[in-house]
Formats: sequence, structure tokens, C-alpha cells
Amino acid sequence: MIVAGIDLGSLATKTVILDIDATMLSFHILRSGPVYHGVAETSLGKALDSAGLARDDVAYIVSTGYGRRRAPFADAEVTEITCHARGAKYIIPEARTVIDIGGQDSKVILVNEKGHVVNFVMNDKCAAGTGRFLEVMANSLDVSIERLGEFSLQSQQEVEVSSMCTVFAESEVISLRAEGCAVMDIIAALHRAIARRIIGMVGQVGMREKVAMTGGVAKNIGVVRALEYKLGTNIILPDEPQISGALGAALIALDKVGSARDRM
Amino acid sequence: MEKEYKLNRLETTKLMGPMVDKHWAELRTAKERGERVGWCSGPMFIFPYAMDMKCHFMAGYAAYCAGRGAAEQVLEAAESVGELLDTCSYHRLHMGMAAAIEKNIPVKEEVLLPMPDLLIIGRFCTEMSHYAEGLYRRYSTPVVAVDMPPPQDKEDIARLEKYVEGQIRGSLIPEIERVCGRPFDYDRMSEILSVLKQACTLRNECWEFAKVNPTPWTLWDYGVSIAPIFYMMGKPESVTYYTKLRDELAERVEKKIPVMLPDGENYRLYWDSWLPWAFLGKIIRSFTKFGAVPICGRYPWEFFDHPEDIEPEPDPVRNWVQLYYTKSHIAYHASTKGGIDLISKLVEDYSIDGLVMLASKTCRFWQGQVPIINHIEKKYGIPGILLEIDQADASFYSDAQVDTRLQALFEMIDGRRRVI
Repeated sequence: MIVAGIDLGSLATKTVILDIDATMLSFHILRSGPVYHGVAETSLGKALDSAGLARDDVAYIVSTGYGRRRAPFADAEVTEITCHARGAKYIIPEARTVIDIGGQDSKVILVNEKGHVVNFVMNDKCAAGTGRFLEVMANSLDVSIERLGEFSLQSQQEVEVSSMCTVFAESEVISLRAEGCAVMDIIAALHRAIARRIIGMVGQVGMREKVAMTGGVAKNIGVVRALEYKLGTNIILPDEPQISGALGAALIALDKVGSARDRM
Repeated sequence: MEKEYKLNRLETTKLMGPMVDKHWAELRTAKERGERVGWCSGPMFIFPYAMDMKCHFMAGYAAYCAGRGAAEQVLEAAESVGELLDTCSYHRLHMGMAAAIEKNIPVKEEVLLPMPDLLIIGRFCTEMSHYAEGLYRRYSTPVVAVDMPPPQDKEDIARLEKYVEGQIRGSLIPEIERVCGRPFDYDRMSEILSVLKQACTLRNECWEFAKVNPTPWTLWDYGVSIAPIFYMMGKPESVTYYTKLRDELAERVEKKIPVMLPDGENYRLYWDSWLPWAFLGKIIRSFTKFGAVPICGRYPWEFFDHPEDIEPEPDPVRNWVQLYYTKSHIAYHASTKGGIDLISKLVEDYSIDGLVMLASKTCRFWQGQVPIINHIEKKYGIPGILLEIDQADASFYSDAQVDTRLQALFEMIDGRRRVI
């Protein structure tokens, strides 16, 4: 028997397949696209293919993420807050603060020793400090988003991007370019700006050691380093931070199957 | 299959629509009858009422405007004359209404009120100064402001009470006497307080029923029922209304009829800050699909939660100020410390499972929401969330954001119940 967790994020859809012992059999990451149409089915199908399994083998599916209601075949839907907490806690048991920066939202989640959410804070409906923000900036600087992290570590001179509004920050980036600032320095400034915003959110819930980071932006080493500097502590990263939400969803699916079995 | 929840609406609250309509209709037509009109922010409207002025109440108008589906067009009218989106949406609604009257901007007729003979500002936040200044500068509306600073600690209370009372006696009452052309009617003020005391005593009996699980009513029902004990205070209908409401709730409890069908609420919640007048229907639906009901809240509890402190005689003015400061501590509850005191008591009395804090995008009045969530979580193990929306401006509302936060709250509660 296997279960699946599907995280329909704004930029990427992630699927994780677990067996009954919570061993990960496969995962798959797919670009969500503008309308989510069929993306959950495709992502699930590809994850099953890579594990050599079929749809009928799946006993329970939990969907999560902003598009969680766009997977009508799922047996249950759970918010990304609960799923990221659960996934991060599973991978990094000692984590008590989880910083998740995804495509269009960022959140800071306090987790207890059981993996339950104690408290959380999310950004509001503005894209400031999220993956989308970085994507727009990368386009503006003509740099691939995957290389932002390594570029920012080469920064030689500190420059300032003060605005976290995606539109205004893009204007600032264009102005800095026009003034002749180095791309590396601008990228580092953008990462510090994101860190400033996240620090404010961490302050609201109160940081508890140890700190883990999930979501696609955790792959950006520049943001991670800027956050570590501001927090004054190391951040623990999962091997594949982008799938924590889907993993959490799959773990909850396992719980559901377990409780159903217990009732039988 | 998931359980389908449905709210079992009270018969008594259906009486409120016509009562509210009558209030606003009388206000709209007051000048045709030669009556004086006041606009009021904060709790000072009892003074024009005592002089038989027709008076509107700032938040009450916002609720009325939103209920009539006119908030968006009135806010647009405000923006068209330069009001900034970041400022208080209650303030912008009034500036928008005034602009619509002056410039014939089309908005729903029933939300247009006569311009006031006197604007009375209960200045408990800085936005009230902008409100007063804006109306005075643009329309030459006479203004009297009563500075009402919220106390941050109990040691502030006695000093502030003296300060506020001095302004009422030294500025407000003389100005109302000037506008009305006769001495202030202290006896009428005492009569209003007597009726208010009866209505609030009955209302408190209604609150007791919300301690029952399953509850026979919700904070939404109480929100609909606030007008009789606030801007419609002193009217005999307020006592009739709360008598009916109490009787209906008693019957529900006796017959074990829950407000949340089919078999009672799944989550009992505390609600902080203003009620979300412009999106009440949406919010109610979002709560109801999870079987969640708000039971109590800081703002709805500021309407004279200790009626035993209402003493119409011998000095109604002194008593009115005492109700806000030294006696019932209404003003203190807006502060962080006062909020923690009140909310802790409500959590215990009403067996609350979680906190929902409306963190208004345009109002900074309710203090300490983040520290309050953290404090209550540590003390009682009860989670809380912030809903970063607005009480009146739809441009700050996002269904997906609200739904995700609410669902996460319920998952946190379930986590504590070991369901997830």
C-alpha cells in the first residue's frame, strides 16, 4: 500500500509517494502553469511512473498548497502550513522554527516536538519576499533564477534595495543597473531585503532553535546566508527543500490510512 | 462524506433590519422636520441624543453602508477627491459620502445623510483628528473634539477619566447647547441611561447562553444586535428586542436546539477587533463550512459589559465617563494589557478553542494582537491567527488568504485534539 501527497504551489506542483513505512519511493516537481489544469494528475502520474507504480496502488491522497482544491481526486486537503511543518519536522526532527518561502507566499511556523503547528505567520496578499519576487528580479537582471544564489555570494560592494514591493523593487533594480552597480551586488541587496522581511515575521512568532528552511527559495544559498546572518544562527536545509509540503501531505495521508485501519 | 454545516438563524435578529432602516430614515429626513443633526465618532452620541438631535455613529454608518452594498462606491467617491487608501476606511466612507453629496457622485441614495450641524469627535485614535480636520476644512462643519486616550495601564485610568470629564463639561456640552439653543437636558440623559441599563442587563442574560455547548447563538447574531444598545440606545424598542432575544435563546437551550446544524459547533472561537461589516456574509460562510462559530470578542464586549455600573442618577455625565474608565474599564480593554485581561477571562468563561484577530489594514486602534496570541497560546495552549483584512474596504480582502488562515487555525486546533 502506498500514499501520495501533492503540493499545488503557485509556481510548482510537487508530488511525494510514500510506502506504509513512510519510506519515500519517489517524488516529482512540475511547473504549475497558469490554470493548474491537469497538473496534479500529471505530477502524480510522473511520480508513480518513476516508482514503477500505478494509480490503483495509491490508498490515500492528500493535497495541499494554494491550488489544493484543484485536485478533486484527492481524499483530503490540508493547508500548506500544517504540511510544511509536518514535512520539515519529519526530515529535521530537531527543527522548532520552519521558514518556508514558496512561489507566492512566505511563512514562519513554530513546531512542537510532535510536529504540530504551535503558531505561524504568513505574508499577506503581496508577493514581497517570495519566489515570484525573485523570479521577476532575475528576469529584470537577465540572470537565471537558479544562479542568483551563487552570484550574490560574489558580491564585493554593499548596495541597498529598500523596497519590498515587487514593482517598486524592480524599478530600484533598473535604476541601480543604470548607475552601473554590479549585478552581483544588486542580487545580494535583494537577498538582504528578503531576509529583512522574513526577520520581521520571525520576530512575530519568536524564534526557537533549531531553524529549518523549506520551499523553493531555500535552494537559493544567497537568501539562506542573508537569513543566517540576520538570525544569528545556522539554518538547516533538507536535501530537497521544495518537496517538504508534499512530504507532509503524504505523511498526513499515512496517518489517515492508519486511523482508518485502526477503526476497522 | 464530510459533514455539511448550516447556521440556524434566530427569528429575533430578523427584526433588526426594519429597526435599523427606521433609524437611518429618520436621520436622512431630520432636516426636513427642522431637527438638528450630529455626526459622531466614538461614544459621545448620548449627549446629542439627550438634546433630541438626530445623530449618526461612525462605525454604525460603516455597517449600514456595507449592509446596503454601497461601501465600495462610497470609498471610490472618497478616492476621487484625494483620500488615501491607507487611511481609516470609516473616515474614508464619511469623506466619500460628503464628496458624493457635494459633487453629485452617483452612490446609493439611502446611504446619503444630511451634512451635520455639529461633528462630535471622540478622539481615541489619531485618525479621528484627520476626520474632523477633513470635514471642517472642506465643508466648514463645526467640530468639537473630546480627546479620549486609551489607557495603557490601570494606573492611567483615573487621570484620564478626569481629563475626559473636563472636556465634556467644558467644551462638548456648551457647544451642543449653542447649536440647540437651550440648556443641556441632564434628565433626558438619565432616562437614556436607565433604558440602556435595562437593555444591557437583558443582553448579559443572552451572553450567558453562549457559555452553553452547543451554543444557541453566535457573535454574528450579537453583531446584528449591537445597534439597540449603542446608537439606538435609550429607545424602548431596545428593551423589547432583547427581551425577545433572551426568550428565544432560553427556548433553544431548553429544547437543545444548536445554532450550528446539524448537531452543534465544531470550533468555539474568539473574534478580535471590528466586525467585518463589508464581508460579513463571506466570512460567515467561511466559518460555517468548518462548523466554526465565533462566540465572543473584544469590540462587541465594549458595549457596557457591566450594566450594574450604569447609574443614571445623580450625575449621568460622571457615570458615562466612569463607564469607560474607572468602572467597567471599557477603554482599558483596547490596550495590550487590558486585552490580555479581558480575553483571558473570555477564553475561560466561554470555553474558547482558538482566536481569530482581524488585523485591520486601515485601523490601528486594537493593540497587541500578536503578543496577545502568543500570551494566550502559552497560558492556555490555544492557537490564534491574524486575518489581515479590513472592516469596510473590500480591496484588502482575499478569499484564498482568509480561507487558508482559517483552515490552518482549525488544523492547529485539531492537532491539539490529536485528530491530525
